[in-house]
Parts: sequence; structure tokens; C-alpha cells
Amino acid sequence: MTGSELGRYIIRRLLQTVPVVLGVVVMNFLLLQLAPGDLATVLAGEAGGAPKEYIDQLRQRFGQDQPVLVQLFNYLRNIVFLDLGYSFRQSAPVLDLLLARLVPTLLLMGATLIVSLGIGVLTGVLAALWVRTWKDHLVSVAAIVFYATPLFWVGLMLILLFSIHLDWFPTSGMEDVVAFHEGWARVVDIAHHLVLPTITLSLFYLALYARLMRASMLEQRGLDYVTTARAKGLTDRQITTRHVFRNALLPVVTMAGVQFGGLLGGSVVVESVFAWPGLGQLAYQSLFARDFNLLLGIFFLSSCLVVTVNLVVDLVYVVLDPRIRIG
Amino acid sequence: MHRIPFAMASAAIAVALFAGPSALAQKPGGTLVQITQPEPPNLAPYISTSGPIGQVTAKVFDGLLDYDFDLKPKPALAESFTVAPDGKTVTFKLRKDVKFHDGKPFTSADVRFTIMDVLKTNHPRGIATFKEVTAVETPDPHTAVFKLATPAPYMMMALSGYESPILPKHVYGVGDIKTHAKANEPVGTGPFRFVEWRRGEFVRLDKNKDYWRAGQPYLDRIVVRFIADASTRTAALEKGEAHVAGFGAVPYNDVKKLGALPSLEVTTKGYEMISPIVELVINTRKPPFDNQKVRQAVSYAVDRKFVIDNVWFGFGKPAMGPISSNFAPSGLYAAGIDFTVADRIERANKLLDEAGFPKKADGFRFEIVHDITPYGEEWQRFGEAVQQALAQVGIKATLRYEDVAKWLKRLYTDYDYFISSNFLYNLADPVLGVHRGFHSDRIKPGTVFVNGARWSTPETDALMDKATVEADAAKRSVLYKDLVQKVSEGSPVIYVLELQFPTIVNKQFRNVITGPLGIYGNFATAYRQ
Repeated sequence: MTGSELGRYIIRRLLQTVPVVLGVVVMNFLLLQLAPGDLATVLAGEAGGAPKEYIDQLRQRFGQDQPVLVQLFNYLRNIVFLDLGYSFRQSAPVLDLLLARLVPTLLLMGATLIVSLGIGVLTGVLAALWVRTWKDHLVSVAAIVFYATPLFWVGLMLILLFSIHLDWFPTSGMEDVVAFHEGWARVVDIAHHLVLPTITLSLFYLALYARLMRASMLEQRGLDYVTTARAKGLTDRQITTRHVFRNALLPVVTMAGVQFGGLLGGSVVVESVFAWPGLGQLAYQSLFARDFNLLLGIFFLSSCLVVTVNLVVDLVYVVLDPRIRIG
Repeated sequence: MHRIPFAMASAAIAVALFAGPSALAQKPGGTLVQITQPEPPNLAPYISTSGPIGQVTAKVFDGLLDYDFDLKPKPALAESFTVAPDGKTVTFKLRKDVKFHDGKPFTSADVRFTIMDVLKTNHPRGIATFKEVTAVETPDPHTAVFKLATPAPYMMMALSGYESPILPKHVYGVGDIKTHAKANEPVGTGPFRFVEWRRGEFVRLDKNKDYWRAGQPYLDRIVVRFIADASTRTAALEKGEAHVAGFGAVPYNDVKKLGALPSLEVTTKGYEMISPIVELVINTRKPPFDNQKVRQAVSYAVDRKFVIDNVWFGFGKPAMGPISSNFAPSGLYAAGIDFTVADRIERANKLLDEAGFPKKADGFRFEIVHDITPYGEEWQRFGEAVQQALAQVGIKATLRYEDVAKWLKRLYTDYDYFISSNFLYNLADPVLGVHRGFHSDRIKPGTVFVNGARWSTPETDALMDKATVEADAAKRSVLYKDLVQKVSEGSPVIYVLELQFPTIVNKQFRNVITGPLGIYGNFATAYRQ
């Protein structure tokens, strides 16, 4: 396949995502209308009470005195120009709020993806090689335990052990707010703060990928092409690394792509336990505040993220398995 | 409107204000990390009174006055004030040496702008507080004269940097105040200036080197951190990563554990100007609660002591009426009917029998739904305690837990409830925090935390109207005594307990909680040992 073919494919896929993302936005917009109560009441509630004139004034400012369809039309018209509106609760443009959270989110997601895929795939392969020995059983049992343990509990236990008792890591946050490091010291400081949340969030996915990889490896090893390869005179090692491993990776990559949306959701818990300033927490807060502009912005951004990741997964397929064609 | 029942004191009431304790040899320096929960939605205390905002901005803005633990005014931006004999003119003498964080001087024009153009029109409570203010005159740059339509003595309690922050006109006067560019980058005259807010993480405030209180503040920096998970907040305090937390930021069951650590101390002071009260609000227009006897019976049935000890881990004391005992020093406190008597269950059963609700074969008189304040776990426990208490007198209650927006709509717009737990502040004066609960002019669908019980009587309305304009504390206390008695007879709201929030402070830091606003104070005198 040539480079221009690939480019055209990517452009076409990106264009296809436009109706998907718009559909997500419209659906969410209409769903949110069903939630009882609105931002004006929440703001007044937080204020410990407010006169009726104040609440009416707020509603008018938010445009909530208009019919729903007009509100929807206005929103869609703005979103075309990437104007995600203004969060009245946070007194800031939605886009600014989202961009500020994007980097920490991607940092945590990226680190988690690398750790969980890396270690998950590795232990899966090892378990498959050690199949039906005590080591294989150990991996399986550990995977089930990690898979079944609630994230918040793991997080709290890690804090208790590594931060309070051993004093190796900070309890929470993204950087040291007393020292305010700069330059490389800051990078090291952030990495230091990233360790516990990444481990917590990774354990669940790591277990999932390890089990999937093991099963997938075992399945591939029984297929005809392995026999052919062996007949061709390849060593076990060559067969495993060049053929079985690459084929076995496909389901795991698929799963990683599908799980990405879940990763965004699962991070809400980890973000709140470790006070990590990501998108998940922002979504959670804005839902309870009925801050719909902000919430819609988050939905918009996360649907863009998920769509992009799925595109990347499709491209990775081609690299892993030349039989798969795009187009 | 309000009639003035008594002649105001003939002579001008000049309040001599004393200077605060002079700076001791405190060592300057250090960073104090405060935990605020939840993260404030913005840093615009002039348009939103959402609790967490003030915990941050009270360090950045000053008010005209400060207050001591007995709620007596102390000088701040105003060196002194004079109330005219008719109570309709209040003259503030302003300090001359005050600069805003951007270097521009503070003048009476800023006061006029803040009160008239911002607080009176946009502040959720300011609309009521400054309702009677018709003009703020500025004869010279250091004098501000408030002209009132009717006397409003309660206004003098609402002039702290937390409640009525003074804004620079040259900053906030440019552009729309409701969506102002500086809404999240506050500029004030306070001891700390705003540096940075990284959302989801922290707000950084650095020392204001030109602060008008010479030598203060002692700290170099305050960082306010936001940690969503309660257990992590506890861990951060335990480890010394954070140094101060109040307002329920630490779960009650962790407070004792933290208090036992040698590095931390727990105080319940610093809520005297807030006076939070846990109550049950009753829909008095929905049978069977339209019957006063049924409401009184519920009040007898609730075991206040049990709730304090078991739900709030001892951080409270029984409420004896709508007005908090924090008003005892100012003479405004009064107790109503004592619902905590030993034979309260018998009395409750008797009242319910008299009201015409005999126990049926299954042991119950009637069934209701009890709504729970959606503010966290202890409120659920409280709901369960109420459910048990009601069962004891033959009322079967089902619990309902919704999210904040839905719950507020149910209580204050749709009035679609029987009885709900609730949480209201008395604030700095009964006029500001107490009247709203049962005055007829506060029955306003869509307005939250007002008269959701929809109960009122002409007598109680009249008492409140008199107390609103009465400047003499002794005469006000007589009015409130009468009011409290009548309200507890009517029992539209059942006052359960005065909540005493614990504030956790790291012992490295001294003089952190120094006034009735506690963590809403400015921390100018806090220092590290």
C-alpha cells in the first residue's frame, strides 16, 4: 500500500467520524435535558439560598429560558466553529477548561496503556509458555485477584503502604506544591507522583490483557500454520516471536482499543483517590452541578478521543497483520 | 414597609474600634497547605457564595470590617464607623494607606462600586443584605456614607472580607461583572495575592508584601489543594503534605484518629459567624403534617443526643430552637420548647393520638417518605436514625436519596415532599440566616433554602419585621424570645442540632483559626513555628 492511499484512508475515516461525533453530541444534549433540576438551582443551592430574581436572571443568562430545540441548534452551530461555550459555574470558557485537563489525562492514560499492555502481554506470553505449570497457575490466580479488586481500594492500600508507612511516594496530586520544582526537577517530580495512580489503574487492565494474551497464544499455537512453520524447520523461538506472538496480539489490540473508552471512565475513581487533575473528575463534578455546557464539551472531547484511538487501532492491525487491508 | 417600633437611640452611636494585637516576633516564611473540599467552581465571591470559594478568596479580599469571636466588629478597611441616630446613615472612615494587589490605591469609589454595582445587584445574599441601601456617597476618597431606606442593623454583621469583599473598581468595573475576565484571577487588598489556579489541583496565593497591616502576613505562601477522595485527604494531613482542613473536609470518623496524632490538633472554633444547623423541614401544607400536633410529635420523637453521638461523632449540641447558641454573647439566643425531655416518646404518642392518628393493627399510624439531604454519608445515617425514631411513635417512613439538583427542586419548587433533612446556616445575624426559614415573604417557589415549609403566621411575621429594624440588642432579644417560642409551638421546622465542624490544624502552624469565620478568615496572622 502506498503512502497516499494511507493518507486518503485516514482522511476518509476522519470524515466518517464527523456524523458519529455529532450524533453523540445530539444524543447527550437531549439526554441531559431529561435530568431534573438545572444549573441555576444548583448555583443558588450552593449559595445557601438566593432570591427568585437572581435565579431568573441566571436562567436568562444561560439561555435556559429558550426552547430546547433552539438551544440545541445554537449549540451545534457553535460547535462547528469549535466554540464549546462558556461554563457559567466555573466562570471560564469550556475549551480552556478541557485543554487544561487534557495533558494530565493523556499522561495517566498513556502511562497506564504502556504499563498494562507491556506487562500484561509479557505475563500472558510467559503464562502460555509455562502452560499448566505452577507458574502459569500463579499468573492466572494473580490476574483474577487484580481483576476482581475494586480500584479505589487498591489505590487507598497503595497510599497506606507506600506513602504513609514507607514514605516512598506522595499521597496525591500531580506535583509538590510546597517546592514548586522547575525544569527537569519538575519532570521527575511529576513522574514520582504518577507512579501510584498508574499502578492502580494498570492492575485491572493488566490482568485483563494477561489472560487474553495467554488464551490467544494457546489458541494460535494449535493452528495449522504453526505445524507448517515447524515443518519448514523454524525453531520454537522463531515460531513464537515471529508468527504466534504477532497473531496472538490482534485480539489484545482490539480489546485495548475497545477498553479505551472504559479507561476514561475507570480513571474517575483513580483520579479522585489520587487527586489527579484529569477529565474524569471534571466530568463527575459537572454532572452533579448540571453544568451542561462543560459536560457536553467533555463528551465531545472524549468521543473524539475514542474515535481517534479506534482509527489508530485499525492502522496498527495493518502493521501487525499484512493480510488485513485498509480501504 | 417595615414600621420602626421604637425610637432609635438619640445620640449617634459611635463605635470605638480598637487595634488588633500588635505583631509579635513571629518568624516570617513558610508555605501553608490548606485542603478545601470540593474545589470552588470559580473565584468570584461577589457573584457566588458557594462555600469553597470563600475559603480561598477571603485571603485575597478584605472587607470593611472584621469580627471577633463574640461577633463584635473590628476595624479592617474601615478604621471606624458611625451610625446616625435615625439608623439611616452609616459613615465609614476608610484607611488611607491601602493598595490593591496591582498597586492602585483603595478609595471610597471602590466601596461605592462594590456595594451598589456588584453586591447589591449580583451577590446571592447581598441582594437581601443591601436591600435598604439607596446610595453610597463619597464626600472624599476616604469616607463612604451608606444611605438606607430603613435602618438595617444586620448589615453591619455582613461586612467581612468573606461576605462582602471590596473590589477594585478599576478592574471589575470594566466589562460585564457576571462573566468578568478576572472572575478566576481575583485582585483585592488582602494579605495574599492570587498567583495561579491549576484546576483540579491547587490555587497558589503568595504573600502581599505591601499589605497594610505592617509586618503581616507572616507566611510566604498559601496553597489550597483539592483532593476529591476523603480517605486521601486524611492521608495527606497525616503525612503532613497538607496542614489545615475544615468544613467536613475530613470525615468525622477520621477526626478522632487524626486528633490523636502528635502533629495535629482539632478545634471546633471558627464557625461562630456561620452557625450551621441540622434540621428537618416539614411540608406543612400536606396532610398529615398540616396538623401542628403531628409536627410537634415528630420533634419529640427525634433523639437529638443519639444523632449527635452516633451520626456526627459528638461534633454538635442539641438545637433548642431556630437561633444558634452562638448568638448567646450578643443576647439574641433564646430556647424554645424543650423537645429533649425524658418522656418525649410518651408525649409524642399522646400528641399523635390527639391529632386523630391512632395506631393500626400493624402498629403504624400512617406512612410517609423521608427525603435525605444529599450531602454525603452522614446524612444517610441521619435519615436512618430519623426513620427509626419515627417508627418508635408509629410513623412508617421510607427513605429517598436523590442528587442535589433534584432534591432542591423537590423541596423548593415542586413542594413534593413530606419531611426532609436540611442544613442551613444562621450566618452572622438572625435576619440574614433565620428569618428566611419561616417568614411569609420568603415563600417563593424556585428560591432555595427559604421557607420550604410554607408556614407562617401574622404574629411571627410581625416579630421578625420589628427585629429587622431594631438596633437595640436588648429589645431585639425580647422579640426573638417571643419568636422562638412561637416557632417551636408551630414546629414547621424541627431544629435537631447545632453542628460543630472540626477544623484540623498542623501544630507546626500557629494562629491559623483566629476569628468567628475560621477557615474563611484571611490567615494574615498565621505563622510557622
